[in-house]
Amino acid sequence: MERVNTVEPATRNTPEIKADSFINIRKIIMTLIMSGFALLMIVPFVWMISTSFKSPADVFVYPIQWIPSSLNWEHHIKVWTGSDSFVTYYLNSLKISLISMIGAVFLSSFAAYGFARIQFKGREALFLVYLSMMMVPPQVLFVPKFIMFEWAGIYNTHWALILPGMFTIFGVFMLRQFFLTVPAEISEAAFIDGAGHFRIFFQLILPLAKPALATLAIIDFSWHWNDYENALVFLLDKDLYTVPLGLQNFILENNVDYNGMMAAATAGIIPMLIIFLIGQRYIIQGVAGSAVKG
Amino acid sequence: MNKSWMKRQSRLGYIFIGPNMLGVLLFFIIPAAYSFYLMFTDYKFMSPETHFIGLANIRRMLGDELFYVALKNTFVFLLAVPISIVLSFIVAVALNKSVYFQKTLRALYFMPYITSGVAVAFVWMLLFQPSSGPINGFLKGIGIAHPPGWLSTTGSSMYAIDIIWVWFMLGYNMIIYLAALQEIPEELMEAAKIDGARPWQIIRRIMWPLVSPTTFLLLITGLIMTIKNFGIIQAITQGGPGNSTTVLSLFIYQNAFRYYEMGYAAAISWALFVIIMIFTVLQWLGQKRWVHY
Amino acid sequence: MRNKKWLTVLTVCVLMLGVLSGCGGNNKANGGEGSNSGPVKLTMWGAVPPENGPQEVVDTWNTAHPDIQVEYVRFVNDDDGNLKLDTALSTGQNVDLYVNYTLTNLDKRVKGNIALDLSGYTDYNIDEKMGADAASWKVDDKYYGMPTKKNSFFFALNKEALDKAGLAIPTAWTWDEAREYAVKLKAEGFKYGLVQHTASLVDPLDSVLVKDGYVKADGTSNMDDPLVTQWLETLNGMMKDDLTTPPLGEQLTSKMPVENMFLGGESAMINIGEWLIRSSNNTTEFPRDFQIAFAPVPRLTGNEADFVKSGGLGDFISINSKSKNKDAAWEFLKWYADGGMLPMAAGGRLPSSNAVDQQTAIDHLLGDHADSYDKESLEFVLYNDKTPTFVRGIAQEIVDMRAQEYEKYFLGNQTAAETVQNMVKRHNDFLKLQGK
Repeated sequence: MERVNTVEPATRNTPEIKADSFINIRKIIMTLIMSGFALLMIVPFVWMISTSFKSPADVFVYPIQWIPSSLNWEHHIKVWTGSDSFVTYYLNSLKISLISMIGAVFLSSFAAYGFARIQFKGREALFLVYLSMMMVPPQVLFVPKFIMFEWAGIYNTHWALILPGMFTIFGVFMLRQFFLTVPAEISEAAFIDGAGHFRIFFQLILPLAKPALATLAIIDFSWHWNDYENALVFLLDKDLYTVPLGLQNFILENNVDYNGMMAAATAGIIPMLIIFLIGQRYIIQGVAGSAVKG
Repeated sequence: MNKSWMKRQSRLGYIFIGPNMLGVLLFFIIPAAYSFYLMFTDYKFMSPETHFIGLANIRRMLGDELFYVALKNTFVFLLAVPISIVLSFIVAVALNKSVYFQKTLRALYFMPYITSGVAVAFVWMLLFQPSSGPINGFLKGIGIAHPPGWLSTTGSSMYAIDIIWVWFMLGYNMIIYLAALQEIPEELMEAAKIDGARPWQIIRRIMWPLVSPTTFLLLITGLIMTIKNFGIIQAITQGGPGNSTTVLSLFIYQNAFRYYEMGYAAAISWALFVIIMIFTVLQWLGQKRWVHY
Repeated sequence: MRNKKWLTVLTVCVLMLGVLSGCGGNNKANGGEGSNSGPVKLTMWGAVPPENGPQEVVDTWNTAHPDIQVEYVRFVNDDDGNLKLDTALSTGQNVDLYVNYTLTNLDKRVKGNIALDLSGYTDYNIDEKMGADAASWKVDDKYYGMPTKKNSFFFALNKEALDKAGLAIPTAWTWDEAREYAVKLKAEGFKYGLVQHTASLVDPLDSVLVKDGYVKADGTSNMDDPLVTQWLETLNGMMKDDLTTPPLGEQLTSKMPVENMFLGGESAMINIGEWLIRSSNNTTEFPRDFQIAFAPVPRLTGNEADFVKSGGLGDFISINSKSKNKDAAWEFLKWYADGGMLPMAAGGRLPSSNAVDQQTAIDHLLGDHADSYDKESLEFVLYNDKTPTFVRGIAQEIVDMRAQEYEKYFLGNQTAAETVQNMVKRHNDFLKLQGK
């Protein structure tokens, strides 16, 4: 933080009002630039929506038709009605993703606090073991996991996804990094006041880490929501299927029903967007800043 | 006194970590140990007989040309990580305060991360279309007579995948950076502004060092995620054309789930493990130079 | 004190997780044992989407057989889908019948002891009913299931364009002749003379190697058969010199929908199989104003007597050896093969059993659109062409490595000679590995 002082006072005498209006013009320009790049970000998304309304023959029209020549609602209707309705898949996915997410955020914040703020023997070594487990390719874990789940009787149940889903090494790592940045003085002051680790964790650290927790929740939810491989291997019964498995229904024998698939996939984005927008409300400035002051 | 305090700390530490450790043990360490054992067998999924074959899988791997091709492709794939980290930091700073419609823009930049992989594959394939795609159309428009063939030639396909991967990771890195930027005390920036620091100086001298723990996180996890990822390549090129986009993780996937060669797949996985481990340890040791907690 | 309280809370949490998982497990444990009372329940796994026939098939059966109720479960016939099926089978989940689409998959399942040897059933002679082609599905000289459909691969041609160009419908031809056709037909105003699925691309190679042997007498690779080079150069010439077929790079990167191109009049010929009929019958999605004529696939070899073509029988249905209702499954399987499967003919699945009348099958296949096909040539490629056929049985590894090498060639990254050399080398490496 001493670096602040090394900044050269180049424009020290610029009147503040002028600086503000300058920033505003810049803010407009920045908004325009960032909006331009944002368009690049959503190209496939736009394609999803437009494809879900196209007629099958128009999918392959090249150059891409961004705006469908006619609005076909039939694909969307097909997704939600009939024997292969997505309602069940959707509810299953919601259940699995929400429970896993809550469990993962809760359990990782606990562990992250342990790794970041409590001094104990073997901490660094244990953490490296944790990290190293992130590095094992999941493809080879599937057979042993499968044997284990079958033995435990949770193969072909939602628990085969939820239980492992509650443990995310990434989450521990990420929260640890955030907890480490919370100034030590805060907890030291609390210690002197007689607070234990649990109180510090719940009353000081967690509130301070809201942006990080919200971010982890967003990312973790999307992982579970999009998890295809685990669901594929561990779920058999159709009434247990999740949205990514449901999307496979649109892969026909020799071609893909892109219209139906995109109609379902577009609807499949909505929960992730909602979680993102809710989580966003916690990614705001000010909490940490005021805490340091107090 | 001190000793009992230490003991108490240790116990507390394990209490905090314990529940998570239980899961990591069950769902990561034990399966990993099993796959370590598989490496020394000729286990094929579904086959009733399995033999212990010692180091044969490792010898096979070292003599397998495809392994080296995949290794090289994996390293090219990794180029995307630092690029996407730097870009996403810039985007995060821009979307932190200096734009209007912050929330909407943040959501838009996050879209790649949640867009259907099938759509991503389809659209990028068409964007990169060599003869009549918009990207090469643009390049020709600005006077490049022979733009790359992107996904249609073996020489350029991995770089095209890199571009797509940077695009994909951008929103994900961005929201983690955004969370980190919220932790920077407002007063620091105010003070710097009053001292007359230019925005660029604030970004470089205050924001970048202060989010270094996050950069460290993104670098390590980004490398791990990238090395482990095969879904996006499987969706776009299936490792082709030729084997120009077969990265190690895709190679493992093919051996495990296509040929059912679980023993061989385990051997390659552990080779991959060693590679990631080396990267991580190097970064871990190097972090003291640039990560400020 | 406070810590102790938290410890209890934690313990309770962990216990709850355990209990919850236990409950989840119990729910599912007794799925397939309802056979002592009520109807027998069978589950059949297949890769055809239910609405394309299978649902109608099982509905028909279920109405007629209240004592044996069949449920159809669809899996996607790709690596992931087969993995899912194999996982289900090897854990003894209640899958009673399942369809194998490749010999490679069947082979794995036979080795894994999850396919029932059907020689125990003597009331149905598979060789007699299905003909000589069935034998290629034997593993260790035994039937671990029953092939049920005829595989047909053919060239579909735009009849109108043929007539305009004054070309006859071929009944036997070489790739050189096909190449000529492509040039002449393209001149009639088509973007391409010939399009093909990337999966069908390699069929001529297998035709050659099945006849001449994948492996030489000395046990080394036969990928350097001169006809392999001839195939590479013919196709490459069509892509790059004649411009009569899309260059591979172009085809891969533009996700070229070849069926749409043929039906939409952009290409005059397509190398395809019986599944084309599903799309070509769908005139609302793919309106067309021409008749479709059919020709057998061309051969590389000059000598007609040396020609074998991809075909044979398919949809090999096995009974799970762990099934609790094997006899009921066998009853269903016989009924299915002997005509129960006819509703699936609309998608191109012609029954292979001789219990099914040829005309009935064709009527199911063409539906109301019989007029839009040249019927004589269709019947020729489906039934009357007596060229011997084969079902591809080589390991997936070989298919993949071949594809990687010829892709590099068609993309211009290596010469034909290098391609052949690499194929031979990699094939030999593979053989060595298998031999160990």
